Amino acid sequence: MIRITGGKVYDPANGINGQVRDICLAGGKVVADVDGGRTIDATGLVIMPGGVDIHTHVAGGSINFARAMTPEDHRRAVAFIRSQSRRAGLGGMAPTTFATGYLYAGMGWTTVNEAAVPILSAKHTHEELRDVPIVDKSCLVLMANNEIVLDLLQAGELERARHVVAWQIWASKAYGVKAVNPGGVAAWKWGQDAKQLSDPIAGYHTLTPGAIIKGLAQIVDELGLPHPLHLHCNNLGAPGNVTTTLESMKALEGHRAHMAHLQYHAYGGDDWSTMRSETVQLAEYFNAHPNLTTDAGAVLFGDTVTITADGPWQHLLYKLTGRKWGNLDVENETGCGIVPYSYRPSNLVNAVQWAAGLELLLLIDDPWRVFLTTDHPNGACFWRYPEIIQLLMRNDFRRECLASITPKARKAIKLPELDREYSLYEIAIITSAGPARALGLKEKGQLGVGADADLVIYHDDPDVLRMFSHPRYVLKAGEIVVEDGDIRATPEGREFLIKPAYDEGIENFLRPLFEDQYTMSFENYPVEVQRIEHPEIRDCMGTE
Amino acid sequence: MGGKVTCTLGEVKNRADFIVFWGGNPAECHPRHFTKYSLMPKGKHVPNGRKDRTVVLVDIRETKSVKAADIFLQVRPGKDFEVLTILRALIKDQAVDPRQVAETGLTLEQLTDLVARMKRAKFGVMFFGMGLSMTRGKHMNSAALLTLAAEMNAFTKFVAMPMRGHGNVTGADVVMRWQTGYPFGINFSRGYPRYNPGEFSTVDLLVRGDADAALILGADPGATMPQPAIDHLARIPTIVLDPKVTHTSRLARVHITTAVTGISAPGTGYRMDEVPIPLRPALKSPYPTDEEVIRRIHEAVCAKPDWIHANGQYTTNQV
Amino acid sequence: MSAIVLRLKDRPAVPLEAEVISPDLLAEMPHADIRAQAVYLGKRRLRLDDLFEVEGERSDQVEVHGDLGQVKWLGRGMSRGSLVVHGNAGMHLGAYMRGGRIEVHGSAGDWLGAEMKNGQIRVQGDAGGQVGAAYRGSLSGMRDGTILIGGSAGLEVGMRMRRGTIVIGGRARDFAGLQMKGGTLVLLGGAEIRAGAWMVRGTIISLQPLTLLPTFTYACRYNPDFLRLYSRFLAPLGIELPVAAQQGSYALYSGDASVPGKGEILVWQPV
Repeated sequence: MIRITGGKVYDPANGINGQVRDICLAGGKVVADVDGGRTIDATGLVIMPGGVDIHTHVAGGSINFARAMTPEDHRRAVAFIRSQSRRAGLGGMAPTTFATGYLYAGMGWTTVNEAAVPILSAKHTHEELRDVPIVDKSCLVLMANNEIVLDLLQAGELERARHVVAWQIWASKAYGVKAVNPGGVAAWKWGQDAKQLSDPIAGYHTLTPGAIIKGLAQIVDELGLPHPLHLHCNNLGAPGNVTTTLESMKALEGHRAHMAHLQYHAYGGDDWSTMRSETVQLAEYFNAHPNLTTDAGAVLFGDTVTITADGPWQHLLYKLTGRKWGNLDVENETGCGIVPYSYRPSNLVNAVQWAAGLELLLLIDDPWRVFLTTDHPNGACFWRYPEIIQLLMRNDFRRECLASITPKARKAIKLPELDREYSLYEIAIITSAGPARALGLKEKGQLGVGADADLVIYHDDPDVLRMFSHPRYVLKAGEIVVEDGDIRATPEGREFLIKPAYDEGIENFLRPLFEDQYTMSFENYPVEVQRIEHPEIRDCMGTE
Repeated sequence: MGGKVTCTLGEVKNRADFIVFWGGNPAECHPRHFTKYSLMPKGKHVPNGRKDRTVVLVDIRETKSVKAADIFLQVRPGKDFEVLTILRALIKDQAVDPRQVAETGLTLEQLTDLVARMKRAKFGVMFFGMGLSMTRGKHMNSAALLTLAAEMNAFTKFVAMPMRGHGNVTGADVVMRWQTGYPFGINFSRGYPRYNPGEFSTVDLLVRGDADAALILGADPGATMPQPAIDHLARIPTIVLDPKVTHTSRLARVHITTAVTGISAPGTGYRMDEVPIPLRPALKSPYPTDEEVIRRIHEAVCAKPDWIHANGQYTTNQV
Repeated sequence: MSAIVLRLKDRPAVPLEAEVISPDLLAEMPHADIRAQAVYLGKRRLRLDDLFEVEGERSDQVEVHGDLGQVKWLGRGMSRGSLVVHGNAGMHLGAYMRGGRIEVHGSAGDWLGAEMKNGQIRVQGDAGGQVGAAYRGSLSGMRDGTILIGGSAGLEVGMRMRRGTIVIGGRARDFAGLQMKGGTLVLLGGAEIRAGAWMVRGTIISLQPLTLLPTFTYACRYNPDFLRLYSRFLAPLGIELPVAAQQGSYALYSGDASVPGKGEILVWQPV
């Protein structure tokens, strides 16, 4: 039992904006009152619900591939030294699993959503998630290049496709559905890409990326998944891709959807030398369409490693950088590419990307629909979030940074004209309350009675970077896990799963297809629920 | 700098129309590989199975796998790196001296033909074995093949994959990577993981005599490592966990008999393409599992006082 | 200012990591502090004076005596002063070095001068592999400075080096100048196979015949002007390159075509 007294509470889900309140915690939850227990004096400190990362890549085959490819970064990373309560590990661009938990908790984040899981290797992802301590977890299964699903969509068998998708969500022990470059990864298996929403995909007669997006969004809505279709649009990173992004959004009218890392889909121009930010028209459309949420996918200058299921984009990036390239195609389902990358302020493209991420966060007027991410590790590593918070809260600091980017970029961006500064209340929305709501995790991202006792206590420091990098306390499920930068406890987190309704008979349809196309036995394909550490099966929403 | 471009085995089954085996003898070492994954199966995009695939075998001698191949290229021993480097030049239309090519045991015509076929393929795959990765040049031989496969993607779809074997070596590699960032050759003596093959890899540590104790799990180095390494294992306290008596257990100070994973102990095996497969025991064993023994040793070690005496929880300056 | 003198008491049974034995770290320290510095014997953290007899204080001239073949990271990242080893040195000697001078009256282990930025390392005896190389995964090896090895050297000498000079007095093993990006590698005693493999730029000079990869092309025979200048740079270091036309000439090969690269290999052909 813990009582936290005297702190200024920012709890947007309950409309609390900096008022001084006592918060009582017991049994891992926020409660109305406690009798006895420890008291934390938070006078003069700031209290927020623990951070929620709606889109990150921290576990599974692709990030583990990235780890193998970047020993040079591990050597310069922060190293966690083993102790009796803490495992050894490394930070850096692609942190090791234990370090991932320590680093997230260390800056006050307590829930993470791994955004890309192939069913075939989902056991691997869950084994890694078990080794990410402290934080609670969920993951999204990759669907928009799954050949069994694509064949059904091409044949117009939406009903059967829905049962297959539902079966696959449960088979992979996922929480939602992710669509990456719909059709494009399947085409990449022939060395091609799918750039136009209305063109048939390589290897298919009539199926288009647009049809996949619509079909999956409809299925996700019909299943009543708490998190809408999580869409990584076609044509990521390419100059002029804003038209594809707008078309995708139009295809989604009438459905809920989450547009992942929108920054990477917000460009105008015809080639790399004329590339510009098109966040204004994107934000304009987005502001008028409340069926959508998004996350920034912001970029920070510096070294990182890019990993995505978007294989064709990664091959292009490899050709552009001439550095290392990793690629892994997963049979019938998806693929992934890995390229180490440095974002430089002197580079026009990188400067536009940096500005575009911030512009989206500043131009979208409803903070409940745009969330703080870097698409870790693609735009920057998650442990650099405090730097983005500083850029959002301090216009003068933004101006300083703007002075250091290449002058060529100034005409290609909108950022110099934007003076908006985020308040602490808005920061609490984009880092916690908003993403929790978009994920449908009602007891996360808020501090009302009954909420999970995940919260972070900051010094009220005018130096925003210092404030958000070094919380005074972080509590997870009511336990103090971080105190003054030191990790005090490393409890195991939970994993959220969904079991949508499906016709059990669908296995009779899947089995022969599977045996034909896959290389493992059908019985070995699903992840047994016993493999999940502390599983928590959540309900679908009421479907109408 | 190249990299690693790979796929799961189902992609090979469903798509590969051009398959190269380099320095391996799958007919004898991976007997199910041909029938289950790479040659015989009818795949979604190769409906006629074997007829739709061209198979090339590159090796220093004729093995039983030659029969399965359409083309056999016999390389002179120790010339794999040279041949792969020539191929890297040829795919980019760089000139190579034909007389020097001949020293590899192959002719320029053979290699030009191979390049033309590789470029014509719709989906090419190169499997490589220990005949490549464990002969003179070692990791650079593997790097040469991986780089060639990566570079081929400028022309068509191409992937590469090592033919790994011997128990769950891929699984060990995968788990070490997520826990430490590194696949093997990891040193924890400073309290955090460090990696340097050649310095910290087991065989080098033993040959130099750098270790003063050894715990061996799921391996039989007494049968496979060079004599100086084996001699050192016999000199120091060596503990072996193994279901059976092995060369290593014979020279060990302690042998703990454990249940056989996959037969009488559950777990996860990682296939050579890093796809996890659940292992379901069919029998019960009177012996403890490897996991249980290690867990108990770990608990006992944890109960000892910390020896690292770290000044803090983390360091920003690694050695 | 007299030197700090360290004498190894006994050759350790397992590797000892002693990155603290570096002029930068010891230069400002009183005697008692030097003795108390941490070194790592296997997994155990010990005091420097547990393993060494220590004399002197406050000096950037450091002398070490004994068989230090098991002692790693001597002179790591040093930027000034001198480190003289009377005996053998272990792996990673002078790795990440930025300046100053290291002298070894004996032989040295692998990764000598790896990723160094500047300074000079001279080893009288043999060196291990990866001299001046890039650590695994890094894009670049040594960026500047000079490494002089009197005897032979191991595998992958100068791997991915970007600038600077390496001179090997004896024979180097396979892959000398692997993936070189710049700088100069002088092989007075030649090398085993695959010298210059995958080199992008840079120069390898060999005074002995080399077996080159088929992806190197013979260009011409000549006595390049830059070698005259270069030999003037090497002469004070006690290294002589033949440059006179009456003695012979150099055969120039370019490659590696597999990259494709613009590296140069010069092989001395006496008259």
